[in-house]
Amino acid sequence: MTARPSGDSTGSPWRVILCDDNPMLLEALCEVVTAQPDLEVVGTALNADQAIALARRHEPDLVVLDVRFPGGGHFVAKEIARCSPDSRVVAFSAYGDKGSVDEMRNAGVAEYVLKGATNREFLAALRRVASP
Amino acid sequence: MTHQPPPQEYARKQTGPLSEAAFTLLVQGVLDYGIFMLDPQGYVISWNAGAERIKGYSAAEILGRHFSVFYPTEDKEAGKPQWELETAVADGRLEDEGWRLRADGSRFWANVVITALWGENGELRGFGKVTRDMSERRAAQHALSERRRLFDHLVQAQETERRRIAWDVHDDSIQAMVAVGMRLELLAERVPESCAAELERLEASVRGAINRLRNLTFRLNPPGIDRHGLIEGLSNHLDDVVGAWGLTRSFEHRLDKEPTPETAITVFRIVQEALLNVRKHAHATAVTLRVESADGGILTRVIDDGTGAPMSRDVVHEHFGIIEMRERAETAGGWWSMRSEPGTGTTVEFWVPSPEPTPPLTDDLP
Ligand SMILES: Nc1ncnc2c1ncn2[C@@H]1O[C@H](COP(=O)(O)OP(=O)(O)OP(=O)(O)O)[C@@H](O)[C@H]1O
Ligand SMILES: [Mg+2]
Repeated sequence: MTARPSGDSTGSPWRVILCDDNPMLLEALCEVVTAQPDLEVVGTALNADQAIALARRHEPDLVVLDVRFPGGGHFVAKEIARCSPDSRVVAFSAYGDKGSVDEMRNAGVAEYVLKGATNREFLAALRRVASP
Repeated sequence: MTHQPPPQEYARKQTGPLSEAAFTLLVQGVLDYGIFMLDPQGYVISWNAGAERIKGYSAAEILGRHFSVFYPTEDKEAGKPQWELETAVADGRLEDEGWRLRADGSRFWANVVITALWGENGELRGFGKVTRDMSERRAAQHALSERRRLFDHLVQAQETERRRIAWDVHDDSIQAMVAVGMRLELLAERVPESCAAELERLEASVRGAINRLRNLTFRLNPPGIDRHGLIEGLSNHLDDVVGAWGLTRSFEHRLDKEPTPETAITVFRIVQEALLNVRKHAHATAVTLRVESADGGILTRVIDDGTGAPMSRDVVHEHFGIIEMRERAETAGGWWSMRSEPGTGTTVEFWVPSPEPTPPLTDDLP
């Protein structure tokens, strides 16, 4: 399967916000997503306030959200659902235990990707969520 | 000085005849002490009501059996029953406090006195044995003692330290390696194919390391016990960890009350270690975890259907798992044992008291 050259039905790429408190990881994540023609990074956030402000301003198609995020991943997910209801959230976490997964699912997260998955798996999850 | 009755009157009352039969009745009827006799080899030859009450055997069941059935496996293996008889012979008497088994296999904390009985010509006729069940007194002392407070403190300090290490690994090492893995994969797409293969190998080894670190943080700081209590913590652990090992698992539990966090952590950590051993050594297909309230504490069993390999006396590698499990249980005031029969699997069984929470320290030293 190949990535479509463009994102939504109008032909423009899916707009993505990336949230992780580790700058090194955030940068790598940004490069991986930017390299995809059907995805566009419209903002990156290192904490809850930044993430919520960006979601409110851009109402992105996708939000990639660290689970152990300052301010609480599940809390941020709920806030984003409130201020940008059409955004779909993908949780991105080093912990895949049932408690963490349930907590994020209850906060309305669409997909849960384990850190350590390949880029291909990660991007596949983003595309699944963007065009269900 | 108080007024004393005339001596002759007093003496007459005191020397009222007590027949041997009456004396036997007295011993037979005593309920608070197990009083019984062993022959010179240690076989039970008399039994009283107290012994039946404390140990759970009727006279018919126990007469003629060797008294080593009262001892936990580890004591039997260490030769303690024989050693106790020998000491009684050498010193005339032996007193001991320790765990003993009831007929149903449960344990009680016993005070035991063994006295050697000599015949008129100086030959050994057997032993008198008096046993008291001190479990309740011991539990009460333990719950109040400074030792308990220290124990709680120790458990919490260790958990805090482990949590800190786990978060450090999570927040720094794992994130950095995830970033490296992502960049390597990105790079592999951009370089000529000859280099790409090498980069993919690198990337795979980075991902392997990430998985191992993830497991390490999990082991150090298992999610769940502090948030949701013992049963849910164990249940999640079985689902998240043991499920991933491909073992069939079953979990039976019956707890009267939620234990203190320190007791919960103690049980959880021992179960975690026992399960790890099942994974590493047992070659099992199924594991059963049973947790129940018993004797004012929590009785736990981890039962596998694996090889039941007898403990390897491996001198090259040091084994800490068993030592740590036993130390945890004993420091908590409980006991720990492992039974292993080739072909039928291994059972780790332990009991820890479940006291009420200790009141906070008020007499803290400055
Ligand atoms: N469930 C089991 N089934 C079969 N053998 C077991 C089981 N549990 C323990 N053993 C045996 O007992 C030995 C000692 O276990 P212990 O946990 O003390 O050490 P270990 O697991 O080898 O090393 P570690 O210090 O990492 O725990 C093991 O090496 C193994 O041979
Ligand atoms: Mg071990």
